[in-house]
Amino acid sequence: MSKVKVLVVDDEIEFATTLAERLNLRGYETTACFCTEDAMALIHAKNIPDVILLDLKMPRMDGIETLEEIKKYNPTIEVIMLTGHGGGIPLTGAHREKHGPFDCVMKPADIKELTTKINQAMAKRQTAINRGKD
Amino acid sequence: MKKEPGWIRKIFINAGEYHKTMTSPERYRRFRRTLFIVMTATFLIPLILTTMLSYYEHRSQMLANLRWNAESAKKTIETFLAELQTVLIYTASEQTYEELVDQETLNKLYQRLKSHYPGVVDLGIIDHKGIQRAYAGPYELLGKDYSDRECFKAVTASKAFIGMVEMGYRKVPHFAIALSFFNLNTGQNWVFRTSIDVTTLDKYIENIGTGPLSDIFLVSRKGEPLLQSTSHQYGAPLSPYPFELPHNRIGITISEERGVWDYVVLKAVSYLEGTPWALVLLKHGYLYGKDWSFFKARLFFIVMLSTVLALLVIFQITKLFVGRIREADEKRESIMAEVEHTSKLASIGRLAAGIAHEINNPLAIISAKTGLITDLLELCEDFKYKAKIASEIHGTSHAVERCKVITHRLLGFARRMDVTLENININTLMQEVLSFLDQEALYRGIHVDLDFGKSLPIIESDRGQLQQIFLNLVNNAIDAIGKDGKVTIKTRKQGQNSIQIDVVDNGKGIPQEIISHIFEPFFTTKDSVEKKGTGLGLFITYGIIKKLGGHISVRSSVGVGTTFTVTLPIKINLSRRVHNVESQSPGS
Repeated sequence: MSKVKVLVVDDEIEFATTLAERLNLRGYETTACFCTEDAMALIHAKNIPDVILLDLKMPRMDGIETLEEIKKYNPTIEVIMLTGHGGGIPLTGAHREKHGPFDCVMKPADIKELTTKINQAMAKRQTAINRGKD
Repeated sequence: MKKEPGWIRKIFINAGEYHKTMTSPERYRRFRRTLFIVMTATFLIPLILTTMLSYYEHRSQMLANLRWNAESAKKTIETFLAELQTVLIYTASEQTYEELVDQETLNKLYQRLKSHYPGVVDLGIIDHKGIQRAYAGPYELLGKDYSDRECFKAVTASKAFIGMVEMGYRKVPHFAIALSFFNLNTGQNWVFRTSIDVTTLDKYIENIGTGPLSDIFLVSRKGEPLLQSTSHQYGAPLSPYPFELPHNRIGITISEERGVWDYVVLKAVSYLEGTPWALVLLKHGYLYGKDWSFFKARLFFIVMLSTVLALLVIFQITKLFVGRIREADEKRESIMAEVEHTSKLASIGRLAAGIAHEINNPLAIISAKTGLITDLLELCEDFKYKAKIASEIHGTSHAVERCKVITHRLLGFARRMDVTLENININTLMQEVLSFLDQEALYRGIHVDLDFGKSLPIIESDRGQLQQIFLNLVNNAIDAIGKDGKVTIKTRKQGQNSIQIDVVDNGKGIPQEIISHIFEPFFTTKDSVEKKGTGLGLFITYGIIKKLGGHISVRSSVGVGTTFTVTLPIKINLSRRVHNVESQSPGS
């Protein structure tokens, strides 16, 4: 079975690289990007991750806008938002179901909690891909 | 807003000082005093003016009445004298001088006149030398010389003369009427003279009828004023009259006079034409009379009663009015403080959120780094300080975890400012809310009964705001009971898409007339003295419930209790709800 591809997008370089390293140690194929533009370039280059860990607040293009772009490009990519502040995700109901993030995790995140959510997100993506194939 | 005139602002409030001394007691005392004075003046000035007008109107009516009486009396006396003169002229003209000097003829004439005019004392015929040639009457006056007497001189010049009252040869008060005729046979003038008893004049004047409180009499015009008829006040004819007569000889002169009994009387004086007399009419009881006293007493009573009543009413109105203004100011100040407090809390929340966010990022890096070190240590073979390093890293991770708890709490506080949706078990949430009020309920002897529905769906809503709603409702229920009672919390599913929560108390209940106002802002039934109610609790509760897509209703019965029913949707469409809330208000 191929490794789950994870993309960590955070402007905090130390955090992104360390988290990517820790996930790699746990058997994930993790890449770290430090801005949304790089992340979108990677996705457009057909290097599509299974799950994206996306920081909510970033310069230029923030997490919400990036999320919308990602979902527009490929709705099966699951996104887990990482947030360092108290604001909620302004997407609700059906809209949240289809275009919203898989979940939202507050920083500093526990690695076990994070891997559990990545696995759940992967399972959801797999189901969506299988449904698409059928 | 219409701006009030400057003078009102000057009298009442200096707007610039309004906020500085909003609830200063001195300001309200000053305001109340000014309001009292202005209202009293507004009432009393017209009252005093009306009273003065009534007073002077009444006085002028009395004067007019007196003038009319004097005019009437003057005309009556003048008519009497003119009639008497006409009769005498007619009587004398019927006979010649030679016939009249015949004693028998004169006696007959005297008897005839006396029968019609009992006041005629005697008759006399005086020749051109002033010697009385014939006389009919009770006195011995035949041959008396009148050539030096004023009446003889005056009648020779003016044909007719009425003399002043005198004692003369008769030694009784009388006045003379003399008429001058021309004798064609001798070419000499002769005089027809008659004396009239003053009592005739008195009787005539008495019958004029100028009212019981009047004194009417004649006074001589020449020299020292002497009474020419009897006066109730000044005595018999020929007594001195102690006042000067007015210089104005035309019309009626009205003045005040302090009479012999030292009280003020109203006096009207009029000169009688063709006589040496002035008519004096005194109106007694002008200032001290019954009519005047009654009028003054009545006027005084009405003015005093109106003033006392007005002062009482104005006092109460100003007290009430200023009290209401003060209450409103205090309420406003309390609301301002509340708003300031809320705003401060919101600022603290935002500040806390900002700090937490800034700390969270480096904390996340530390957490990630310590995690990585732990991961790497697990992969490494044993070395000398591995256990020690692992222990130190664990300590660091533990410290990071503590920091995380703090920052997450701060962020949780800030999150209540916005609507943050999460999945909520309403029964668990109610348990959390009640845990805040357990001690309060226990202290007041209030039993909290839980009637939770089983298998309730998980709802999507804002935890913090739901806590605020139910904390407020349960707190209100406890306040409504006061001591010893029961609060019941019921939860159940309502239809397919919502759940219902009832907060029931067996407190004093809400009267029907105010139940429609309880969701309005600033409406409270809690005692304002204790500062327990701001009137915003249910208003905010209503707003939050609407924002969360729910509904609140109330049923109450006085003496039985109150039930607040909250309905919440299982799934919420936040954007639609926010729009709906903006277009509604609790009063609508």
